[in-house]
Amino acid sequence: MKTTKTIFQDGNHKWVAIVRDPEKPNYLIDTNEYLVTYGGKGLLLDPGGAEIFPSVFSALSADFDPTALAGIFASHQDPDVCSSLALWLDFNPAMRCYISWMWSSFVPHFGGNAETFVQIPDEGIDISLDGLSLKAIPAHYLHSSGNFNLYDKVAKVLFSGDVGAALLPPGMDGLFVENFDAHIRHAEGFHKRWMGSNEAKRRWCERVSQMDVDMLCPQHGAIYRGADVQRFISWFDELQVGVISA
Amino acid sequence: MTATSIMTAKTPAAGTDLLQIVHINEEIKRVVGVSVKINIMALNAIFLAKRAGTAALGFGVLSNELRVFSQDLRTCMESLNGLIHACVNQVSIGLKGIRTGRLLSEAARLAPQQPAVARILQDHKREIERRDQQLTILRRQLKGALEDVFQMVELGGVLAKSAKIEAAYGQSFAASLAQVSGEFDGVVEEIRGSLEALRRSAFFTGNRNNWRG
Repeated sequence: MKTTKTIFQDGNHKWVAIVRDPEKPNYLIDTNEYLVTYGGKGLLLDPGGAEIFPSVFSALSADFDPTALAGIFASHQDPDVCSSLALWLDFNPAMRCYISWMWSSFVPHFGGNAETFVQIPDEGIDISLDGLSLKAIPAHYLHSSGNFNLYDKVAKVLFSGDVGAALLPPGMDGLFVENFDAHIRHAEGFHKRWMGSNEAKRRWCERVSQMDVDMLCPQHGAIYRGADVQRFISWFDELQVGVISA
Repeated sequence: MTATSIMTAKTPAAGTDLLQIVHINEEIKRVVGVSVKINIMALNAIFLAKRAGTAALGFGVLSNELRVFSQDLRTCMESLNGLIHACVNQVSIGLKGIRTGRLLSEAARLAPQQPAVARILQDHKREIERRDQQLTILRRQLKGALEDVFQMVELGGVLAKSAKIEAAYGQSFAASLAQVSGEFDGVVEEIRGSLEALRRSAFFTGNRNNWRG
């Protein structure tokens, strides 16, 4: 089963990382799910694939009443991001799913109906969680062509989806990046191959470097915090992406 | 046995059902193909009977009837497509339901403090049972429709046998007419064989009442 780690808390405003299931089969990529709670309501970010639903659900339930989930934020359309959607909707059909307009007719193949989806326009939107304003930040082509990060200005946390993701080897399963140079080696190949546009990458780096970010939380791997956030942005800015040797 | 293991055990039966439906569909396509063949054969037989003149009047009438039979058979077999599609749909939903049930059961086991999951699982099981009943009805309808086709083919067999008798009165054309009527008999037997295979399909006769196993 996954475990929950509270990475930010101020009263009832929380960011909880749902991470690291030791029983997860190796053929499934490891993912991080995040729960933002405020005023008794919750928003689940990239809820994960159907196969890991039991693990995510039970971990989340230990910390938070899942009936209070107001919605799901899906950074993009991949199966490891939101193929569990139908199961979450079984649990709470009133839940809304925030996703790029581009995927709002693709993702219903995983579940949901016309009422389920809130289409995010390319420029992003503000999502209100019981009065807390969360910003969907454009991250198109990083890696999906319709892709968003989610920024919480109050907590200074940026959920960055696949940006900052690292495919960590067994045993290297810390929640936070502790040694940037050692960590980033496991992110390099992923970013070179998965991120398709240097132009999009440059714009993202410019945008995010102007934001006040204490924690950059990717969907895979460890969380960057403190100085490692800017270190990551600089590293990413320098990296040539969209590279394949074949 | 836990709810999870029950759900997992159901999976092979549903997958087998899908495979059996595919086999049924292939057999139906084969019968449609043979019915087209009968239609062409019947057309040729009609021309042959015309050439034979009064000696093959009866043969001509029977050939015409066989042509009508082939067209009716084709229409009938094609009308089964709707039922086949409905069966595929039910079994596919069932397969998806089994996976959902497995995952919900696992979630209920890991989060026993959430009674809502158990309730959803119960709703889910009820829905599966409802789908089971629908599939059972469809299974019965498909079997009934195939029995109707079987009756039609029995009539086709009688027509082919009658054509054989009529061929004997074909005077100088008797040998040609006998050959054609023999071919009719052969293809009708081919269809009968296909329908017998369909009757024996485990989709209808398996040791279970539904795809849940």
